[in-house]
Amino acid sequence: MNARRTIALGWGAAVLVAAAATSPSVGISRDESVYVEAGGSYARFWGEALRAPSRVLELADRRYAPNHEHPGFAKGLFGLTRTVLHDVAGLTGEVQGSRAGAWLLAAFLAVVLALWGFDLAGPMGGAIAPALFFAVPRNFWHVHPAALDLPVTALLLATTYAFWRSTSASRGRLSTAGWAITSGVLLGAALATKHNAWFLPPVLLAAWLLGSFRGRQASHGPASEGAVGVVGGHRFPWALVAMALLGPVVLVASWPWLWHHTLPRIQGWLGYHLRHENYPWMYLGTLLREPPFPVAYPFVVTALTVPAAILVAMVGGLAQSGGRIVSAWRGRGPEVSIPTEWLLLLSSLFPIALIAWPTVPHFGGVKHWMPAMPFLALLGARALVTTGRRLWPARAAAVTGVLAFLALAPAAWQVAHVHPFGTAAWNELAGGAPGAATLGMQRQFWGDAAVAVLPAVNIHAAPGARVWFQETTALAARQYQRDGRLRRDLTVASGPEDADISIWQYHQEFRDREFRTWTEFRTTRPVTGAYLDEVPLVQVYARPGAWR
Amino acid sequence: MTQPPDPRGPTYRLPEPPPPDPTGWYELRRKARATLWPPRDIAWAALLAVAVSAAGLYGLWFQATLPGRLPSSTDWKAVAAVLARDARPGDAVALAPPWAERAREVLPERLPSRPEVPLPVLAYPSYAEGVEDLPGISRVWLLSLPDAPGGAGSIAAQLAARSSVVEGPVRIGRLALTRNDLRAPLAPLWSLSDRLHSASIEGSAPAAREVREVGFLPRSCVLARFPGPGAEPLVLRLPAAPLGVALRGHMGLVGDPSGGAPSVSVRVKVDGVELGRAEASAARPAWIPFTVDTSRLPPTAHEVTVEIVPSGPLPLGVCLDLVALP
Repeated sequence: MNARRTIALGWGAAVLVAAAATSPSVGISRDESVYVEAGGSYARFWGEALRAPSRVLELADRRYAPNHEHPGFAKGLFGLTRTVLHDVAGLTGEVQGSRAGAWLLAAFLAVVLALWGFDLAGPMGGAIAPALFFAVPRNFWHVHPAALDLPVTALLLATTYAFWRSTSASRGRLSTAGWAITSGVLLGAALATKHNAWFLPPVLLAAWLLGSFRGRQASHGPASEGAVGVVGGHRFPWALVAMALLGPVVLVASWPWLWHHTLPRIQGWLGYHLRHENYPWMYLGTLLREPPFPVAYPFVVTALTVPAAILVAMVGGLAQSGGRIVSAWRGRGPEVSIPTEWLLLLSSLFPIALIAWPTVPHFGGVKHWMPAMPFLALLGARALVTTGRRLWPARAAAVTGVLAFLALAPAAWQVAHVHPFGTAAWNELAGGAPGAATLGMQRQFWGDAAVAVLPAVNIHAAPGARVWFQETTALAARQYQRDGRLRRDLTVASGPEDADISIWQYHQEFRDREFRTWTEFRTTRPVTGAYLDEVPLVQVYARPGAWR
Repeated sequence: MTQPPDPRGPTYRLPEPPPPDPTGWYELRRKARATLWPPRDIAWAALLAVAVSAAGLYGLWFQATLPGRLPSSTDWKAVAAVLARDARPGDAVALAPPWAERAREVLPERLPSRPEVPLPVLAYPSYAEGVEDLPGISRVWLLSLPDAPGGAGSIAAQLAARSSVVEGPVRIGRLALTRNDLRAPLAPLWSLSDRLHSASIEGSAPAAREVREVGFLPRSCVLARFPGPGAEPLVLRLPAAPLGVALRGHMGLVGDPSGGAPSVSVRVKVDGVELGRAEASAARPAWIPFTVDTSRLPPTAHEVTVEIVPSGPLPLGVCLDLVALP
């Protein structure tokens, strides 16, 4: 096995093992609880459809009705892994079994990042690029849940990689057509995971068109395997044709909900997201409720959540990429592949710019522009490798290694420190969780931190106590119970008024619910809590006698 | 013999002699400029290396020192013991920064020596006079995390500015405790919340004493809900209330009202005569103060009537408090 594959597969295995090892402590977020249920329902569909193929449309309507506002591919994968690991093998609980599908896609992301990093900057690039992605605490957190954001990030990265390979001379074992077909299938899987995949083809087309302007760059060097910058002729992007043909086919094929009433259901799906409600969201002491939202929001939040040294490397990578284009235009960079640079630049910036648009809903922390992160990691890795080569050519690997250590060590430390509260992670520029709380930033989202107080609830709650889980859904509470994480005698209350115990999770926009609890329980004193660097994430209140 | 210069002959202009540079500064600057501009690849690489190294070292320092900047459980227990011993009726605890609400879990909720007396824990962003009245509070214990990232803000200065005595701060581990004796504590004759049980109530809207969120902060108040479309006014009547110089009130819409939420008007009448009025709307989602001058009324008991008139349904309700200032 060559070094390229060794690094890539090593990264894939490492991410898979790390995700499995650290996942049990990560709580169930609101959306995940829905996707786990939906995945289970989808898995039942495939079993039932195989047994009764004549009823397939009726079954599709019933089993794919849950959460039909999002497509079926990733949730189907969660259902598959849950069936294998939980239902059949009994190796995991149902939540961890569902999450295994997400871990597989995270490992896939690591593999593609390592391969592309290697192609761009050699072995060090292959080793560093995945590290720059996964050492961002919020990215690391998103590895765990059976949700859609990391899966779609992985599939968008892979689609873009296949597009790149199809348009460059670096085809490897596959032909241009092979890579084009691969990119079409991958785009279909991405579309069948989350709707933001629809934005990818225009970005790829824009990169290709921009790349056709070469300025004074005269000619191109010979094609060579895996070498970026050697374009060997700028090929027609057949991949876009394959995407247009195969993407919708894979989308429909992997989402039985669309097997009839196809167009109205696609219309309903996209219409739901075009009219998506705006969840209130805290930003610099202001509760964002209605558009227009601040354009700076995703840039500021990125700057305050990506660990500082990684952020510097990524910004350096962006600058390097821009510089390479300008240099090539001036005729000073014959080795530069301008289309590649545009592809990396646009892929890095477009997802952030999209959320910056003032009428696009601003919520969910960084997850909505996470598809930018792998590309920023690639650029950052290449920048570090280039820095090592420039500063000390004879000891380039050592210099790059030292720089990578300095970029990654504090980030890895923070990942370990904030785990499992990744949605509450803020970087050293923000002052960590305490500094961000002072700045008035969103403290967390959505309901996963409650897992930290479940052991105390299991010990102290009175038998049969009614528990109000607030941001944690009733679905999640029942999933905790089925997985043995929460006592089965506890019941779910709908609010403080009918609860004995209230698990308040700090959300500024829902603060009134905590004060209702004070009124109802006649106390302002929590019985326990979960804190990140002294910043309250969860505080538990109890009626007299309900906490023993 | 020296020959004088020929006035018609050629003249030669010699270059200016270099400026004296005994320290070598000008030469150093020239070389630096020649090195850095136009920038070469190695300069960019060095810049990125320095920036990554600096950010990385700062990140390591931040992660290494963060736990040491925050209080330990021992610090919290120690400060709880101090307050249990030294707090007395009329005391409250103010948190700086306000997010440090672990204090609610750790500190005594009531005075151990007098369990009927609460020890309120306040988490307001400002304690400036005119922003927070602090009714019924004579001493404020400022509990701060001075070393926490983001700092403790200006709360200490705001409290000190309205205090006659400032004792402390006393460091207790990574916590600091400062006692502020307010210069002019507000000791109301009565409050509407306390007297709600003796008030006569007209109207179909329910009214109760609650703690609710107004402008993101907890406010203890009389809550009036107007769930239905009719939105009939609510009238609270206190038959015989002693009055001093003024009635001081606050009101606001509860929770996170949307921009289209109806507004609400509060009218205060004394012996049937309207003396004051205040308005709250979603455009002003805050704890709105108002003052009714009663200094010219005879110092006897009066009938005080509060009318709450919404312009439409307000299911979350209106939070209102009114106190009589002596």
